[in-house]
Amino acid sequence: LRRRDFLAGAAGLAGGALLPRLAMANVPTPFTFDLTPPMDSKEKFIAWGVKERGEDPVYLGERFDRFLAMVRNEDIWDERHKRAFLLTPREKFVLQQNLSRAYEHAFLDIGYGVTISGPHIVGRMTSTIDPKKGEKVLEIGTGSGYQSAYLSHLTDDVHTIEIIKPLAERTRGIYDALAKDGYAEFGAITSKNADGYYGWEEAGPFDKIIVTCGIDHVPPPLLQQLKPNGVMVIPVGPPGAQRVLKVVKNQAADGTITVARSDIYGGRIVPFVPFTKLEGDTIKGTHNN
Amino acid sequence: MHSDTDASGDLVLDSRGRLALYLSVGLGAGAVIALQIDIMRVFAVGNWTHFGSLVVSLAMLGFGLTSAVMAIATEWFSRNWRLMAGLGLGLMGPLAVGANLFIQQLGFNPIYLVSDPHQKWKLAEIFLASLTPFLGGALFLGCVFLKSNKTFGRVYFADLAGSGLSGLVFLGAMYVFPPVDLIVAPLILWFVACLAFSFLPGAKLARAPFVVAALVAFGAHFVVAPTLGLSRLAVNDYKGASYARRLPEAKKVFESHSPFGFLEAYTTSYLHFAPGLSDNAGFNLPEMPANAYMGLYIDSDGPIGIMRHLSAKETAYFHYLPMWYPYVVKPAPAKTFITQFGGGISTEVALAAGAKDVTVAEGNRAILAAFHGDVIKGFTDDILSKVHVVDYEGRHFLQQTSEKFDVIDLSLADSTGLSNPGGFAVVEKFPYTQEAMETYMRALAPGGVLAVTIWNKEEPPKSVLKLYATMAAASRDLDGDKMADSFFVSSSYLSTATVLYKRGGFSEDEIAKLRKHTHDMSFDEIYSPGLFYDGSQTDRTLDGYVAQFFSAPVNGPPGSDKVSGDATAPAAASDPTAPDDNAPPGAKADEGVLPSTVMGRLAWHSFVDGGWDKIADRYVFNTRKLTNDFPYFAAYVKTKDLPQVLSDPDRLEPLQDEWGYLLIWATLGIACVTAAILLLIPLLWGWRTFFARTPGKALSVVYFACLGAGYIMVEVGLIAHFVMALGNPTVSASVLITGMLVFSGLGALTSEKILGVKRVAMPIIFVVIAAMLTGYALYLNVALDAIGSLPYFTRLLLCFLFIAPPAYLMGFPMPTAMTTLGRLGKQHLFIWAWGVNGCFSVIGAAAAPVIATNYGLGAVIEIAALAYFIALPSFFGVLAERKTA
Repeated sequence: LRRRDFLAGAAGLAGGALLPRLAMANVPTPFTFDLTPPMDSKEKFIAWGVKERGEDPVYLGERFDRFLAMVRNEDIWDERHKRAFLLTPREKFVLQQNLSRAYEHAFLDIGYGVTISGPHIVGRMTSTIDPKKGEKVLEIGTGSGYQSAYLSHLTDDVHTIEIIKPLAERTRGIYDALAKDGYAEFGAITSKNADGYYGWEEAGPFDKIIVTCGIDHVPPPLLQQLKPNGVMVIPVGPPGAQRVLKVVKNQAADGTITVARSDIYGGRIVPFVPFTKLEGDTIKGTHNN
Repeated sequence: MHSDTDASGDLVLDSRGRLALYLSVGLGAGAVIALQIDIMRVFAVGNWTHFGSLVVSLAMLGFGLTSAVMAIATEWFSRNWRLMAGLGLGLMGPLAVGANLFIQQLGFNPIYLVSDPHQKWKLAEIFLASLTPFLGGALFLGCVFLKSNKTFGRVYFADLAGSGLSGLVFLGAMYVFPPVDLIVAPLILWFVACLAFSFLPGAKLARAPFVVAALVAFGAHFVVAPTLGLSRLAVNDYKGASYARRLPEAKKVFESHSPFGFLEAYTTSYLHFAPGLSDNAGFNLPEMPANAYMGLYIDSDGPIGIMRHLSAKETAYFHYLPMWYPYVVKPAPAKTFITQFGGGISTEVALAAGAKDVTVAEGNRAILAAFHGDVIKGFTDDILSKVHVVDYEGRHFLQQTSEKFDVIDLSLADSTGLSNPGGFAVVEKFPYTQEAMETYMRALAPGGVLAVTIWNKEEPPKSVLKLYATMAAASRDLDGDKMADSFFVSSSYLSTATVLYKRGGFSEDEIAKLRKHTHDMSFDEIYSPGLFYDGSQTDRTLDGYVAQFFSAPVNGPPGSDKVSGDATAPAAASDPTAPDDNAPPGAKADEGVLPSTVMGRLAWHSFVDGGWDKIADRYVFNTRKLTNDFPYFAAYVKTKDLPQVLSDPDRLEPLQDEWGYLLIWATLGIACVTAAILLLIPLLWGWRTFFARTPGKALSVVYFACLGAGYIMVEVGLIAHFVMALGNPTVSASVLITGMLVFSGLGALTSEKILGVKRVAMPIIFVVIAAMLTGYALYLNVALDAIGSLPYFTRLLLCFLFIAPPAYLMGFPMPTAMTTLGRLGKQHLFIWAWGVNGCFSVIGAAAAPVIATNYGLGAVIEIAALAYFIALPSFFGVLAERKTA
């Protein structure tokens, strides 16, 4: 059954029935690190997205609504990250049956017992490692491909590893199809099907590592392939009950290396995000009301 | 009216007819029970066991629904009983198979229950599908009961004895059939019941349709489903075994099935186990061993890591595991005890640490059998041959042995918990109770060390605080004056926590060694003798955790006012890692100390210096210690917070690891509402007609409600209790079901003899039942603990003996009252009473775990005792004679 669950992002593979949508998916203005969508109004953003990126206005609207919630919840912290979120079409990376929920806060099923994380947690994890252009980033657990797609708007050197072969192939197919469609930045993502436990030694060391799958310990090879003062984030615990661990590899002046653990909230106790109270572009309160 | 009925409508049968009737009732009722267990087993292996319990509990409302309909149309059912009973029975088998196939194709995913509306519909479809075979079974039993008004005791005996024996039949079936084919057990019972029924006078014609129904049922399961590629047991994508199957090179190398679980072992080079490994291993070890692991899955949950035999060089990483801690102060101990063998990692560590004489205990016989099998034996170089093996719970061994140990270990024996199909089950964890800890502590040789390591993946911390509270309480009871010097506690953030206890206290030198090791591993020191605690962080931490869940700022997180309506404005706190005055409510990172670490230190500070009760009151979650009466790492949400949590999906999502507990509350709520509706239907329908001339109806309702709730609460409560002695919930359930129902059946059979003196005998019986149950609530734990080290068969026998006295007496009240109703001519009340009993059984079954987790296992039995006590005066309502019209 899963094999029949094709992705909206792989629309190019879906045949003539989706031609009108394909026409919408052509990207008139290719990505550059200078490309900046309007952020001051939903209408301007939608108009820009349709014109410059050839995207569906419905999803653009939903993306902007979620963007407002993420800014409000401090899951994206600066202009670069705001731009990265707004430029990443999440709807291309979810299953057909979840398209209408692509911009909901929750994680969604993508088959193979794997989820695409919710936008808030993706934003928070990405902001925490804060990749900059030119920095080498390794993702363990390609999954839907959304995380690396997001990263590709922050740096041009993204590597990603997926352990499940059919999922790795499916996501690579999505990247390539989208690249053909004009999303050249996704085509530049380097991916492979392998055991992420061992990292990607030939491509390392990495400035940042983002792990998006559970494990009972931090793999030593990943710590070894992380550059001094590099940052790694790892979700801990099963889907639905995860906390995200932040690991910083500190190197002292004498060369001594230590590892500091905290969570992605910097060790602070923060209120849970009032996710479901987003109505249109307005946040209608929190847990209290 | 058929010629084989008497003037009052009761069946009149010859001996052959009676045998056919009793056999069909016994086997039919047995099929119902076997189907319940089958559904729960299929859910446990394929999905999430709690949903199996939920579905079965609610499906049993099929009995209430059937009774409601039959109470309204009693005369019609009485006239057409043969047809309806045959129809109900005949359809039960095909419906059971059809419902299972339908459910397995649905793809129900509990982890999306809150976020994906489709999942709620799927759950509703599962419930409705599961209901159908039980409706068939209930229709059959209801019709037969209706025709056995005056001899109810005998039919009821057949019902109970058949149900009970099916528990044993199913236990045996678990050795023969894998979970996917376990449905065969209820199907065989059902088909033999059909055949027996067809030997009743006038039922011969049903034989051919029954055979056709059997062909349909067995054919659909064994031929049609495989041919069409329909899944007969779909394992959820989020179960551990599903992940293993998807890994490259994954190969299933072992499989076994028994009441101790469905075990599978997979090998692939992609499995890596090093639970709680220090991050420093990454900079000090040349490499981790490759191709070293096998993943063991029980009921598709896991993995439990099994290591191949490693060379000395490859075991270097053991030094970086939290299980290494006891050997820092006890290198090469003379005698070591591993309380739970699990996948063997603690045993490997002990052997690598130079332990000379190692004894391991494992209560799950299937695990030991797996390690004795060729595949795993070869893989581990027959690790069990290098140690002494105790094939029952470690705590029981330590309780009765005179041996003393230098190191006792209880470490991460369970699965690594990487996957989760929808929450953690509320299960009894007797090895972690205060009584168990005291047993471990007593079994230490002078200077010996107890080391307990558990997962520490929660923020805010939950299970670790329970463990801390439990171990501190055990020490306080045992040697309270030395408690401050007896512990060393460390943790690794979002990884593991280890508590070391040394009877008599650690020396300064040992503390220095442990501190150095903790520093070398980059673990966090939570407690050591003399550790300073900064009290200024207490309020901030406690209040912050409460605010995190229950009082987020009204207008959103801090800084939100500054960005509201202007998304381009810079966020107020652009770097959340930098503590600032605008920080969200609660604690901030304080000199690098994380709130969970502060909380751990605060806990130990207050254990040692006093004041823990007040701290626990203020903490956001329940941190009650584990005892034999409260053996749960669950029920963290405080009861007062439940309305807030259950009414808001936002709060439900971050508490997904508590869903098992929240689900038992939801089940109770649904059961109460549904049962109330079912009970009201006949009442509203017939209030002015048949019930108007039925005196004592209110007391009768109370009576049957008390029996329904009381009986099932004893059964469910004792299943949880008996896990302590039997070590396995499935075996415990089978023993309890068989013991309770068979002995109660004998009680029901005997009950006919006291009908003449029921006004005197029944009050005595009620008082004895209530007294006996109260005694069990208070002392059964002690008895079960005491027999834990006896041979397994002896334990089984003793458990049956424990059950026998109350179960026998509990068999009297139901048939005595039902027969009385029948003989008094209260037919409508007769069939409705059966429904009341059924509905309150469902409520009682749902209430039992709620009571157990909130008030203790003993309270479940005590409340059941109260129910039987209340039934005493209510019995006189049943005896009220019918007025003439």
